[in-house]
Amino acid sequence: MKVLYNWLKEFVDVKASAAELRERLSLAGIAIDTIEETEAGPVLEADLTANRPDALGHRGFAREIAALERKRLKPLEIRLPEAVATPEPATSVTIDCPELCGRYTARVIRGVRVGPSPDWLKKRLEAIGQGSINNVVDVTNYVMYELGQPLHTFDYDRLGEHRIVVRRARPGETMRTLDGVERKLTREMCVIADASRPVALGGLMGGEESEITSASRNILLESAWFEPASIRRTSKALGLRTEASVRFGRGADPEMAEPASQRAAQLIVELAGGEILAGAVDAYPRPLEPLSIELSSTEIVRIMGAEVPGREAEAILAALGFEPERVPCESPHEIRWRCRRPSWRLDVAREIDLIEEVARHYGYDRFPSRLPPARQAASRLPHAATFDRLRERLIGLGYQEFIAVSLVDPARDETFRPVDAEPVRLANPLSEDASILRTSGVVSLMSALEWNLNRGQRNLRLFEIGRSYHLSPKGKPRETNTLTLGITGLAREKRVYPEEDQAREFGFEDLKGDLDSLGALCGGFAWHEGGPQWLEAGRAARLKLALDVVGAELGFAGLLARGVAEEWKLRQPVYLAELALDPMLEAAERAAGRRRFRPIPRLPGVERDFSLVVPEGTTFAQVREAVTAAGVAEVTAIDPVDRYRGGQVPAGKYSLLVRVRFESPEQTFTEEQLNDFTSRILASLEQTLGATLRAK
Amino acid sequence: MAEDLHIVEQTLEQLGAETPERVAALFAEVRADFDRAFGSVTDEASWHALRDGWLGRKKGVLRLITENWLKPAGPALKPAAGQGLNELRAYVEGKKFGAFTASATLVAEKLDLSLPGVERALGTRHLVRQTLEEIERIFLRLGYAVVGGPEIETPYYNFEALNMPEFHPARDMWDTFYVDTPPGTPSQLVLRTHTSPMQIRVMERQQPPVRVIVPGKVYRRDNPDASHLFMFHQIEGLAVDHDITFADFKGTIEFFVHEFLGKNAKTRLRPSYFPFTEPSAEVDATCIVCSGRGCRTCKQTGWLEIMGAGMVDPAVYGFVKYDAKKVSGFAFGMGVDRLAILKYGIDDIQVLLQNDVRFLRQSP
Repeated sequence: MKVLYNWLKEFVDVKASAAELRERLSLAGIAIDTIEETEAGPVLEADLTANRPDALGHRGFAREIAALERKRLKPLEIRLPEAVATPEPATSVTIDCPELCGRYTARVIRGVRVGPSPDWLKKRLEAIGQGSINNVVDVTNYVMYELGQPLHTFDYDRLGEHRIVVRRARPGETMRTLDGVERKLTREMCVIADASRPVALGGLMGGEESEITSASRNILLESAWFEPASIRRTSKALGLRTEASVRFGRGADPEMAEPASQRAAQLIVELAGGEILAGAVDAYPRPLEPLSIELSSTEIVRIMGAEVPGREAEAILAALGFEPERVPCESPHEIRWRCRRPSWRLDVAREIDLIEEVARHYGYDRFPSRLPPARQAASRLPHAATFDRLRERLIGLGYQEFIAVSLVDPARDETFRPVDAEPVRLANPLSEDASILRTSGVVSLMSALEWNLNRGQRNLRLFEIGRSYHLSPKGKPRETNTLTLGITGLAREKRVYPEEDQAREFGFEDLKGDLDSLGALCGGFAWHEGGPQWLEAGRAARLKLALDVVGAELGFAGLLARGVAEEWKLRQPVYLAELALDPMLEAAERAAGRRRFRPIPRLPGVERDFSLVVPEGTTFAQVREAVTAAGVAEVTAIDPVDRYRGGQVPAGKYSLLVRVRFESPEQTFTEEQLNDFTSRILASLEQTLGATLRAK
Repeated sequence: MAEDLHIVEQTLEQLGAETPERVAALFAEVRADFDRAFGSVTDEASWHALRDGWLGRKKGVLRLITENWLKPAGPALKPAAGQGLNELRAYVEGKKFGAFTASATLVAEKLDLSLPGVERALGTRHLVRQTLEEIERIFLRLGYAVVGGPEIETPYYNFEALNMPEFHPARDMWDTFYVDTPPGTPSQLVLRTHTSPMQIRVMERQQPPVRVIVPGKVYRRDNPDASHLFMFHQIEGLAVDHDITFADFKGTIEFFVHEFLGKNAKTRLRPSYFPFTEPSAEVDATCIVCSGRGCRTCKQTGWLEIMGAGMVDPAVYGFVKYDAKKVSGFAFGMGVDRLAILKYGIDDIQVLLQNDVRFLRQSP
């Protein structure tokens, strides 16, 4: 709310400058965003919290300033002209829905001359950002900004039977509001009606038909109180937010309805002439119950950690209108007060609310500070240490961690969506391209790759540890931890040095090697052929945990399918992988628990190379198995060293150079022993795979 | 050069040395000659020459001393000659000849130290992750447990149990994304607007003492701009016990600000309003851009708002069946992305989640 500094002086003696006020009010809980200099003086832009509708008027705002000085507001002076008696009551009010409208006052003013407002009024309103309309409407706005009470004026002659009925809207009923919008009403909404039809949306906005115009001569002035939750519901349902709805929606002062009506009536007569008719109606079906709240100095200490001097607490409460009275209590070290809740502070109902009032005006900075003792061992998230290991490895392998927004485009997400995953859709997205929660991490990875490739960043290693989301068949949300990683471009860039003069592109083997480096944490990965459609069929793999007997799939790795790459306009090969994290983390922790160290052999081992020719289709795994099957216990490593096709190798076969390492803790090998190992291994290879030694 | 050192070709007698002192002086002379020769070594060739001249098996200086001085020496001078020779040998052999000589080929190749080395590509942790971990470490030192929770929440945990019934005016403070739940689903779902729902979940399953922090992603239906993201990261904190007061709250927050922003950073608490805390506060810290002098970032106030906080509202205890008369506590919530951009001088928060590698590489 905009607050005009000079206006405040009508309610309190302000000595502090606007800048000083800003500082002091901010430290008492009334945030002032900016100070603007205007013709009418400084204007403070107050950012009021939702619990303080009482400060949405200059008088209520001034009460906070008075409280800073522990003073009281100047009393409100209203000089209501004498009412003119009429033979018949000028109007009547019926409230059919007291649960929505707790109070309704109506006052009729006869013979006004609607016209421009005087300069002083225009200037004040303009300074706080409210345009001038005419003298009658301006008065109602002025009194709202003065006392916080929204008011409305009807053209009396346009009210059917000159009477007011406050009721729920009828099904199918519509009404055109002042802003020219035809509104569909529901039974949840409170309308102000005349004998036959709605003439205003209670607490939100008047109707167009009964609006005050330059031709209006007789007016009905409304000053009411509406139930906050109902106002908010209607405001939300209609997408209509007004100065009135903000005040009623947060809770206006029900006791202010009548004084504000009198104040407005006085000003209307002063500025627009006319006379007030007798028989003003004040329908108040549910008067505000008085509430008394007790406050104990002991409780202040329990919550705040220090005492507030009794007289100071009392002065603060008194200045804010809580009328504190000391009541007897048993302990000589305690002070108890009985306070009355003022009608403008419906947010205060409990002892803790009073403690806050005292504390904020006493000053948060005047309370001591200390560190509480720790009462439990600190602990990180489950698996946090394993996450660290994983992240360390990825960073060591050269991957940049990224974090993507989980809300994505459903069309993009669909390509990578796991079979049967029901996405979590938003009912009110900001835009279509952020309208579901991602069902896989790949869609985010793809966006990150796309972003960088489009900006000339061609060599990328990226990973993300995040969640993917879906709904279970029963509609329950599921959030799964996922690791996604992707590589594209050059694995090695050309450099100036002779040994590094060749650039090299990423290949499937780079991805596999990196993933196996992660797999080493969890006892190894088992690789199987196949994968989802978004991976190239000839370069796709499914991963499982090597040690997992159940064999649940962890995820996929491979080359992005050409069709998908084209759709995303990615013009270079992209290798990517997605893995479910939770089984990996658990496996890593199991593997760490089982880890035992082998002694380092005292004697050097011996290596023998086998230059094999094997039929096409033979896998390295088969070769390794055949070597193992030879039963040479001294074999400690079997590694592929070279692979070759064509040349002297006959068609339908290929050449594979395998290096086998022998180690023994006790002895150095004799040539005889090594020859024995070699021939046993060759025999096994020949027997199971038809492998032969390549002719020299 | 050794050739000039004629004294080693004569015996001690021939040199007229009759006392051990005189022998020692001769050794000193030899040693001085070695130092001169060693000082003039510049390359491999001169090093080889020096090594051969002194340590050569047949005609090296040490050999000659053995033959000409030591062997023929009489009993009066033998100990001195032996000791002198041993010391000299240790001295000469102790010189790391090779270390001070250069390979002519390598010298000729000319090392260009301005060329970059071959760097292994290293990855980086995301700046938000680093900030999250930095904050976590501060609270771990104070005995907090880190807990996580669901991002898809029920309105009960996100609002109601935090003392915000439907149509509560404070709900406007959090623009909420609602999940389009299939027909027949029992409860409405929202994307959590803060990590505060975990306050409730934690207190539901444990009795005081409670000390937890909750890092995680949160969602707000705000149009993105330089200072707003519709998904960002928050760390919520909660401490509940039988003796927690506002003083503990202040002390904890001040500790955090010192650790996170530096010992010179001051803390200021401004009264504010949240439905689930009372008294509530906005926490300001000295603006790190201008050190409190006033600048554009802090709107000339010298202060930056870094979190919302307060004493847990007793109404919240009602939802988790704690006795509000016996326990008390405080809670706080901070936006990690915002803290990261403030701390590292980033002027557009959206950069954080665009994942441009030119940004990612800047946080090693």
